[in-house]
Amino acid sequence: MIESVVIFSGLTLVLGLILGYAAIRFKVKGNPLVDQIDSILPQTQCGQCDFAGCRPYAEALAKGEAQINQCPPGGQEGADALAELLNIETLALNEEHGESNARHVVYVDEKLCIGCTLCIQACPVDAFVGASKVMTTVIEEECTGCDLCIPVCPVDCIYVREINPTLLTFVPTIPGEAHV
Amino acid sequence: MSSQSYPGGVVIANPYPVDQVKIIQSPLPDKVVLPLQQRIGEEALPCVEVGDRVLTGQVIAQTEDHFCVPIHASISGIVTAIDKQAIPHKSGLKATCISIESDGQDEWIKSQGCGSDFLHCDKQTIIDYIQHSGIVGLGGAGFPSHAKLNKAIDCHTLIINGTECEPGMMCDEALMQHHPREVIRGVEILLHITGAQQAIIAIENDKQEAYQSLLMFNHNDKISFAQLPTKYTSGAEKLLIKALLDVEIPSGGFAADKGILCQNVSSVKAIFDAVIDKRPLVSRIVTITGDALTPTNVEVRLGTSFEQVISLTDVNNQAHDYRMGGMMMGVDIETTQMPICKITNCIFVNNKTLKQPAKECIRCNTCNTVCPIGLLPQQLYWHAKSENIEKCTDYHLSDCIECACCSYVCPSNIDLVSYFSFAKALDKKQTADQERIDIARDRFEFREYRLDRNKEERSQMMAEKKQALKEKMAKDKEQGLEQTDKIAQAMARVKKTKEDNV
Repeated sequence: MIESVVIFSGLTLVLGLILGYAAIRFKVKGNPLVDQIDSILPQTQCGQCDFAGCRPYAEALAKGEAQINQCPPGGQEGADALAELLNIETLALNEEHGESNARHVVYVDEKLCIGCTLCIQACPVDAFVGASKVMTTVIEEECTGCDLCIPVCPVDCIYVREINPTLLTFVPTIPGEAHV
Repeated sequence: MSSQSYPGGVVIANPYPVDQVKIIQSPLPDKVVLPLQQRIGEEALPCVEVGDRVLTGQVIAQTEDHFCVPIHASISGIVTAIDKQAIPHKSGLKATCISIESDGQDEWIKSQGCGSDFLHCDKQTIIDYIQHSGIVGLGGAGFPSHAKLNKAIDCHTLIINGTECEPGMMCDEALMQHHPREVIRGVEILLHITGAQQAIIAIENDKQEAYQSLLMFNHNDKISFAQLPTKYTSGAEKLLIKALLDVEIPSGGFAADKGILCQNVSSVKAIFDAVIDKRPLVSRIVTITGDALTPTNVEVRLGTSFEQVISLTDVNNQAHDYRMGGMMMGVDIETTQMPICKITNCIFVNNKTLKQPAKECIRCNTCNTVCPIGLLPQQLYWHAKSENIEKCTDYHLSDCIECACCSYVCPSNIDLVSYFSFAKALDKKQTADQERIDIARDRFEFREYRLDRNKEERSQMMAEKKQALKEKMAKDKEQGLEQTDKIAQAMARVKKTKEDNV
């Protein structure tokens, strides 16, 4: 009788210590749900969702402070994916937050640029190269197409450029099947 | 040793057989259109302008990419346009092309090469000549030959692919029959470059005449011949190596890793032309076949329109279906207003027929038995259809060579291979998108961090300044100097300087 009590108390103690140590050692930092939501969001960082970027929106979603239909760049597909992840009913995209446009980038008409640097400050991903009173330009590969730089430009020298499929990026369509 | 074969594949008899394999010399075209987009890499940059006169063989577009080759004018004449035109590509998209109107002279530019004394040329020099002559794999894949050669220095075995890529095609057969000397000499050049101990010329066993004519010209004991049973997909590099040497090239690996170099016979002839005749690649042999005409081969300048090439044959006046690049792996095309490219090996002209509609998959498993790579097309089909790229990758989609054996045998007429090319393109797009998204996320996070850091640094700097000022004031106080005294002292100094200046 006594023996079993001693054995099991000892075992409990040892296992408890191991568990306690593991809880400290392998503690998950941050909220994993935020990361999961963030990985679905399109990372345009456009702020159309009324948050300062995709990550802040993901944090708000995780806390339940935002709706899943506030992200126009993600489109309806994005909203559906969020609904599946959060296990809730999907919602139609809220048009108040803007329309979902095709992917595009912006470019600067360099002849008109006066070097005011306002676009550099507005860009959420630092895709502009330039400095005060010198010509500014966009690193196209890093532009997310958030359009935040367009309204701040005092001389309206930033334009949108659509991205069309090229021979190297073209995706063929699946042949339609006639079911007999 | 070698099994001379591999599992899978299909035996297809030539649907349009001919008695004699001929090559028709096409007359000089009035106009050529040369696309700047090549098989791999970015578009080449034109180095001529509209209105310039160019000579045959002159470089008209260059790339900085060492992997790519320059583009040459295929006739002499005036550059009339550099604009977007229809090109032979499955997307149907337009691409930038250079158009040249012929002056009828066909005046060649003097280009460099080794001449027949190639044995005294340095290996790297010859490879550079091959690159500057614009030679790519003419079998249909268009892989730049110099890139293959650069990887294959010190390989032990050379395989010359004389197996026709697809049933119905006979451009390689015609080339071997009519240019055996060039082929054999070309192989000798490759032997010299690579230092290989042996070269095997692989020919299918239904091409006896080509075999005999090559045999007559071969006096080199390093060069041997292998006759393979006629089976479709024997022309695929990895399968050919498996059949000949019983060596398997692993997924994602290259033949060069195993010390093997594979080259198409047409490319070998082009290498001969470049190195010995000092002529860059400006023409190729194209098979014109189908039930609307008598099948034949045409040697044609690159950039000639399909229409003009087809008009050289006895084509009938009915409505036609056109297909380029072979009955299995080819692409149906709507118009014949497209230029012949380096990889255009075959054009099918058939009388218009209605396409059989695809039916449901009946899970008959036939496609799984014919796949020469040993993939499971049926499984891949379901996953590609539901756009489940992850599952497709699990079933090794990237190893699919799109040979269309599965589509050929499918009793339900499902065009399986187009599902696979769709899934591959989708995979590529999704990977690129994901990469872009990751970059955007990193840059956004870095910007947040940078702004925070700047704020912190600024507040720290201000605090330090304040502290320093405080300390200084305290020190001054200790020495008995009041702030007012210091101001009085400064005023006196200013006054004194003013007086001095007056």
